[in-house]
Amino acid sequence: MDLLEYQAKELFSKVGIPVLPSQKIYYPQEFKRLGIPYPIVVKSQVPMGGRAKAGGIKPAANTIDAIAAAQAIFHLPIRGLYPELLLAEAKYDADRELYLAIVLDRNARRPVLLGSPDGGSGLDFASRSLQRVLVDDTFSPFYARRLAVAMGLRGRAIEAVSGAIEKMYALFASKDLDLIEINPLALRDDGEIMALDGKVGANDNAIERHRDLTEYARERQIARERHDKYASHDPLSAALVSVDREADSGIGVVCNGAGLTLATVDLLEWGGVRPVSFLNVGNEIYRAGATSLRDRLDRGLELITANPAVTSVFIDLVGSVTACDKLAETIVATTRRLAQMERSPHWIVRLVGHERELGRQCLEAAGLAYYASLDEAIAASARTARHPLEARLA
Amino acid sequence: MNVSARTRVLIQGITEPLAQIHAERMRAYGTQIVAAVSPGYGDRRGDGATIAETPVFDTVDLAVQTAGAIDFTAIFVPPYQVLDAAREAIAAGIRHIAIVTDGVPPMDTIALIRAADAAEALVLGPGSTGAIVPGACAIGTHPVDFYTPGTVGIIGRSSTLDYEVALTLSEAGIGQSICVGLGGDGILGSSFSQWLQILDEDDRTEAIVLVGRVGGTAEELAARYVEAAIDKPVVAYVAGRHAGDVTGHFGHAGEIVNARISGIYRRIDDAAIGTAQRKIEAFQAAGIRVASRPSELPQLLKQATSEVTSSASA
Repeated sequence: MDLLEYQAKELFSKVGIPVLPSQKIYYPQEFKRLGIPYPIVVKSQVPMGGRAKAGGIKPAANTIDAIAAAQAIFHLPIRGLYPELLLAEAKYDADRELYLAIVLDRNARRPVLLGSPDGGSGLDFASRSLQRVLVDDTFSPFYARRLAVAMGLRGRAIEAVSGAIEKMYALFASKDLDLIEINPLALRDDGEIMALDGKVGANDNAIERHRDLTEYARERQIARERHDKYASHDPLSAALVSVDREADSGIGVVCNGAGLTLATVDLLEWGGVRPVSFLNVGNEIYRAGATSLRDRLDRGLELITANPAVTSVFIDLVGSVTACDKLAETIVATTRRLAQMERSPHWIVRLVGHERELGRQCLEAAGLAYYASLDEAIAASARTARHPLEARLA
Repeated sequence: MNVSARTRVLIQGITEPLAQIHAERMRAYGTQIVAAVSPGYGDRRGDGATIAETPVFDTVDLAVQTAGAIDFTAIFVPPYQVLDAAREAIAAGIRHIAIVTDGVPPMDTIALIRAADAAEALVLGPGSTGAIVPGACAIGTHPVDFYTPGTVGIIGRSSTLDYEVALTLSEAGIGQSICVGLGGDGILGSSFSQWLQILDEDDRTEAIVLVGRVGGTAEELAARYVEAAIDKPVVAYVAGRHAGDVTGHFGHAGEIVNARISGIYRRIDDAAIGTAQRKIEAFQAAGIRVASRPSELPQLLKQATSEVTSSASA
């Protein structure tokens, strides 16, 4: 989850990274009671980059300006998102603008400190100016100083900037962040620093063990529901991928496991068919609160057939815990339930695992087409496609 | 890598339902599960507490004291307890760890990797399917029916896709020496390269299959490593050729490809995007044959193996 700017700055403030005086604005009228002196900057609070370019950040010299700016920004969607609130912040003049960030390097399997002397919106990430320092052992402030020096800083700017990096690292490690970024970090000639904009990405697997992040996540969910009463809590419907509006094959795919889903989509394409949509119903998870594979399969089949363009559903399952006969029972029950909803696409089932033979019997007794071989199931799916491009397998 | 019918295995988190299901299957396969750990469920009064026919202890230390030395542990505890469980195993002298649990906070995994490196322990996962030596020993979640004893090693980082590849080989009459799952999490305890080296040195393994997929750069690094250091024939399959830009949508509970972070890397280092095409090119540049679909792997393995044999006899 990406935090909003004001949330990121609350975290910065807690660890002593300097931020400007600011105030949250939920209604334009609140500028009449603004607690910070003009001139100010009014900033849209959406979790997206490129807000300035999109017109989501405007300066204001007085209350009239500020209310006009706020009205415009509240009505400005940025990549489809309207702000729930704005941030009014004091204006600041920097002598220099730097870029600082910490992310995880997957291959090195360590956090990496990133920094550039050329911060601000014009930063070119491919440029040579971006410096990297890998934190390969326990963090110590020297890593931060290495980065500051590599960024070309001299004199007291080194301590000022490395101090900010240390504090960023403390947040990164203690809050389980995927990303912490300050861009720009203003640096004045007297050594004063100020975080003018910040981005914090919290790791979704770790949010629940941080009370403050859990609270931010809850606020965001409430805001989302206020805006969109159909906002879904259902991770499966979020996982449903519609491939291509132009795809007219009629094929929908339901698989378990990300790798298998990718492979199945590849095989269909190889067989000349571009699926309309596909859905990974996930692996076998037996954690508190997790739904069973059978439940997710049932829900997944309902989701994939909700699109009338899907006239044929290819179910490709490799069972590891749940036996095939149990999965087959779910498929039979769900297809019958969907038939009553007048959803009766072609069903092609490929199912292997424990008790494969019982699974086959169960499916065939219900009149569903069963295949053990993936290639044969792909060919059968391709035959049911409405407009096979070039059926290499047929 | 000496996993065999004599390998002594511990289950941590035996009170998790998934652990019990797999413990029973592993035992039925012939795996020596000598002990299990779940705090609060241990055998205190000599009443021989067991779960899934396995003696249960409150700590790993007690399990080792009572059951004797342990070679391999499979960890099933909830994500926030994984780091502690792995540290406890390392402290008790266990040097092979398979973390089946997925969705471990990455900073925990990094701390765990530092501890494992210091102790020279080998870690699979988080989100690993474990390791199986067909006909001898299964540790983790592999559906054992799919596997047959033989001489081909499989290294993958998926779950059901890796099972699919094993099934395809078995049905084509090609058995496996050892199959390992590196795990589905973003940060992992061991890499393709580490396991390539292990399988290269493994006497039972004559050829290696890599099962890759879009995202990250693990396959590219593996390709470079094969070219530099591996003598045995290696073939590969990469899923996601047609995934295009939708890889960010492959999320499900436990594993979500972090499109946001890869977006950052994309800007920093264009080579890190991790498309299937890039990976296939990297493999081909390293002289590795890449299957266009899983069912092509048996044929590619035969070609690669005969080539090595003929060049060895020439």
